[in-house]
Amino acid sequence: MEKFEDILARCIDDIKSGRAGIADCLDRYPSLREQLEPLLRIALEIGEPADVKPSPGFKIKARVQLMDEIHGRQAVTKWPWSRYKKQTKPGTLRRRYSMANIILVIVLALCAAGGGTAYAAQDSLPGDALYTVKLGTEQLRMILPGDDVTKAERALSFAERRIEEMEALAERECFAQGLALAVGKYGGAMNMTLTRMERACNRGLDAGNITARVAEATARHLLVLDELWDKVPDEAKEAIERAMEVSERGRQNALAALAKRNTVMAAEMNLAAMQGRLNRVRARVQNGEALQIALGQFEDMARFGQKISQIAQETGLNITEVAALVDEATSRHLEVLLRLYDEVPEEAKEAVAQAIEASFRCHERIVGILAEMDVEVSQPPVIPEKTRERVKEILGWPDPPGPNVPHGGVAPGPSCPSCRR
Amino acid sequence: MQQNGSTGQTLDETVLVQRAVGRDPEAFGRLYDMYVDRVYRHIYYRVGNEHDAEDLTQQVFLKAWEAIDRYRKTTSPFIAWLITISHNLVVDFHRTKKDEAYLEAEVLAGDTASSPEHTAEASLEQQRLRRALLQLSGDEQQVVILRLMEGFEFAEIASLLKKKEGNVRVILHRALVKLRDILEAGGR
Repeated sequence: MEKFEDILARCIDDIKSGRAGIADCLDRYPSLREQLEPLLRIALEIGEPADVKPSPGFKIKARVQLMDEIHGRQAVTKWPWSRYKKQTKPGTLRRRYSMANIILVIVLALCAAGGGTAYAAQDSLPGDALYTVKLGTEQLRMILPGDDVTKAERALSFAERRIEEMEALAERECFAQGLALAVGKYGGAMNMTLTRMERACNRGLDAGNITARVAEATARHLLVLDELWDKVPDEAKEAIERAMEVSERGRQNALAALAKRNTVMAAEMNLAAMQGRLNRVRARVQNGEALQIALGQFEDMARFGQKISQIAQETGLNITEVAALVDEATSRHLEVLLRLYDEVPEEAKEAVAQAIEASFRCHERIVGILAEMDVEVSQPPVIPEKTRERVKEILGWPDPPGPNVPHGGVAPGPSCPSCRR
Repeated sequence: MQQNGSTGQTLDETVLVQRAVGRDPEAFGRLYDMYVDRVYRHIYYRVGNEHDAEDLTQQVFLKAWEAIDRYRKTTSPFIAWLITISHNLVVDFHRTKKDEAYLEAEVLAGDTASSPEHTAEASLEQQRLRRALLQLSGDEQQVVILRLMEGFEFAEIASLLKKKEGNVRVILHRALVKLRDILEAGGR
């Protein structure tokens, strides 16, 4: 005879999978109705938790920090997680696609009626015969109804697909035309994403989430592209580097848009990305080419950090918080870079020195802004004297780059050459 | 992507898991990308605030990396394993806090996260249910969450908890009976 727990389990399976309703199960086991019914009702009440998502900023910072820990290193920066909590909340998933999905289903059904080509094309890769069908289906999705935020999200999902395709091609060792095509299409999808994102911002739509999502996704793409760069043969590396440039441009555009709404979050995400580059540098310290690329990216991000500071100054949003973040992160970045300077081969020292300078300038910019704005701060941002001395020595600056301390701190000292530029 | 047998894992995921078990940080990073939302959602539901949910989510992935050798021996989906780690951390978290406010927060978490269509009455029922859930033993909570909330198969749960499938069904039965009794005693 079947045990009660097995009957209960089967009923739950059937009900959850939609094969039967409570009444069907109870009819099947009339003698157990009294016992079964309350338990089944409770089981059904315990449903899936609501679809709450973590903030994009958290996701990318936590990923970078995870990689730090995994590599057995002290995190370069300890993130003050709570700083922008009040500015962003995890949003429940919005069901904005209902009409779009209905139309899509119709379109796909029509395609399927024509031989299931569109469905079959979904797994195709650049270079496959059905790949154009896959792209065609995506173009159709872009003309489906939806506001600019929705369309930016769709385009971003296509960019994600292109990254997956690059990975699949690398896995199959198909590096010839396919990879270049995927990179080209990735650029197209990112352009589409950014255009829609900008329009959403210009039209005053609620674009805070999409800017953060694009920034998070592109930072993640960069990490995947790192891995691909390591994997592909030399002749395919250029294509990956192009994809990295596209990704970085997208990241910076998204962060610039985000900074106008949430400067602290934008600054944190940029500093997290810089930390990611430093992790990459440390992991590839003996690979000159990888080292140069990662250091170049770090420099670029540091320069972009100045732009975020500029936006903070213009908007007057959380300037002291941004300054504190930049200060804390720069001190740690400089510590790592100074150590690296001693570790890397002679031919890479120049690149490290440039990264040191970029990082230092980023810091000086924010200090300069605080001084210009005459902002009173309880703890003025100051890089330790020992670090400054070493920076001066490496960069060959004649005078000690003294602290340019804003109102409320100690007296300002002589500024470094970079601050005069 | 193709499904891989009864585990419900895709082949891509299987490759990533194999690489991660072989201590490949990049592969583990990709698994993080795949599952961070789901782990966070699970934890947020149970702790009720962003700050703790973020903190615990980070801990889950760190613990998973540290213990990844142990995953090799199981046949359950990787996400089920992550959910189990999340569960243990949440239990520890509540045990450490021993703070009624957190229990309250947990109950409220589901409330605020529920869709607007839910009636006030339904929310109240959900709150009672979650409160009752917290009174179950660790194993019972885990089986209820994995089967009824996360949708894992009995075979997968059995593999994960290193129990026989029949035992998992018994635990679920026992848990539902306890829930019924708790709810009835509370004047459902």
